[in-house]
Amino acid sequence: MKEKSVILSLSNITKSFDSQEVLKEVSFDVREGDVIAVLGPSGAGKTTLLRCINNLITPDGGDVFFKGERVQRTKHAIRAFRSKVGFVFQRFNLISHLKIIDNVALPLVKVGRVKWTDARKVAEVRLKQVGLANKLMSYPSQLSGGQQQRVGIARALVMNPDIVLLDEPTSALDPSLVGEVMRVIRRLSSEGRTMIIVTHEIEFAKHIANRVVFLNDGEVFADCSPNEFFESVSGEIAEFLTDLSAVV
Amino acid sequence: MSRAMSKITLGIMVAGLLWFSYSSVSAVYPFNWSSLTKYYKLFLEGILTTFQLSVIALALAVIVGIIVALARDSKINLLRDAGTLYVWFFRNMPLLVVILLVYYGFGSAVNVDRFWAGVISLSLFEGAYVGEIFRAGIDAVPSGEKEAGEAMGLYRSQIMFSIVFPQAFRISIPPLIGQLVTLIKDSSLVSVIALGDLTMRARQVGTQTLAVFEAYIVLAGCYLLMTSLISLVGRVLERRLAIP
Repeated sequence: MKEKSVILSLSNITKSFDSQEVLKEVSFDVREGDVIAVLGPSGAGKTTLLRCINNLITPDGGDVFFKGERVQRTKHAIRAFRSKVGFVFQRFNLISHLKIIDNVALPLVKVGRVKWTDARKVAEVRLKQVGLANKLMSYPSQLSGGQQQRVGIARALVMNPDIVLLDEPTSALDPSLVGEVMRVIRRLSSEGRTMIIVTHEIEFAKHIANRVVFLNDGEVFADCSPNEFFESVSGEIAEFLTDLSAVV
Repeated sequence: MSRAMSKITLGIMVAGLLWFSYSSVSAVYPFNWSSLTKYYKLFLEGILTTFQLSVIALALAVIVGIIVALARDSKINLLRDAGTLYVWFFRNMPLLVVILLVYYGFGSAVNVDRFWAGVISLSLFEGAYVGEIFRAGIDAVPSGEKEAGEAMGLYRSQIMFSIVFPQAFRISIPPLIGQLVTLIKDSSLVSVIALGDLTMRARQVGTQTLAVFEAYIVLAGCYLLMTSLISLVGRVLERRLAIP
């Protein structure tokens, strides 16, 4: 079988806050269609890693390569890169004064230079795909957490990105609302969408991801298939899984 | 007691108090309202001048305020310090002194008339306060929304104009209306440079008719009416622009 091409490469990404080293030379490749679950204990550097990828946090060292080319740290290059990388936030971060349809259309208008009327048509399609066709004219505060997160996902997809980064997409949700968001992410995975998901939700790693990257103390401790990960007898992973099952 | 009943009761009490005060003063001071009637045009001129002065000064103060707020939030130290210095200067300077400095200093150097000297003084002075109102509004916009704009690939200017300013403006409306009310009241100080605003006209009418007290009662009523109308418009605007 032909190996799929590498979309994103992280090479020796390092980041410190004050004297604390949060990421220590993190490197791994992301291939087309990969769904990578980034797991690890709290404070392992998972969210920092995701934010370093699209430069929401500037890494101290290392490089990000997108489709083989190094992403330069200039405003223009970062902006161009971000338009190809969708980002889903833990706390949704929807724009409060804009209706749902305009929240989703905004990147198309401002970055894609599409007219509002055309952008709204695309946004409507994306919102239908996440089951929110009847909420187009609502404001974010009028939606439940699960619905807001589905808008966040629709917004991340509207530019048809090559890769989607999801930062703990279900951890701010009421347990009863996790399922609806997970179903949307599962569908994206079955459509072959490339994703990196930082999560504490073990279901992502077990049933949706095809790879697990386990971060511990800022380092990649394991990069393997979910089966290998869950069968691992390594001390840190076993301890992490025990802690997680105790919480769940 | 219901809210409506409470308002009616308060209204009756205030009306009674006013009637009692008026009757008591009437016993020792012969009110002469009729002499004021032929000067109503002067009052109207005064109201118009005060209104024009306040609206133009507020519009300019908003522009000054936006510049000050952006400077105070700037990543460039020089701009941030300049914004801080501006706010420090005007918040620690009496408006009366600013009017005198602008009219007799700047005004005489470049030949600015009284009206524009008043407008410039008020906009510079109120701009410092409006700047602080806007800064608070900008800071109140959730940082996550700005971050979402960054993650989408928006430029900083696009984030400001599409995400931050529309919300900061809505947040700023109530204090901004309060500042407009203050501006209208503060504008009475421009009478010191003989600008024919409402206060100046009331003083003129009082001098000409010798009904000084009556002229100042009308003056007080006009200010109360103007500021109450502004507050009412502000409340409607606030409700209209509220984010659900």
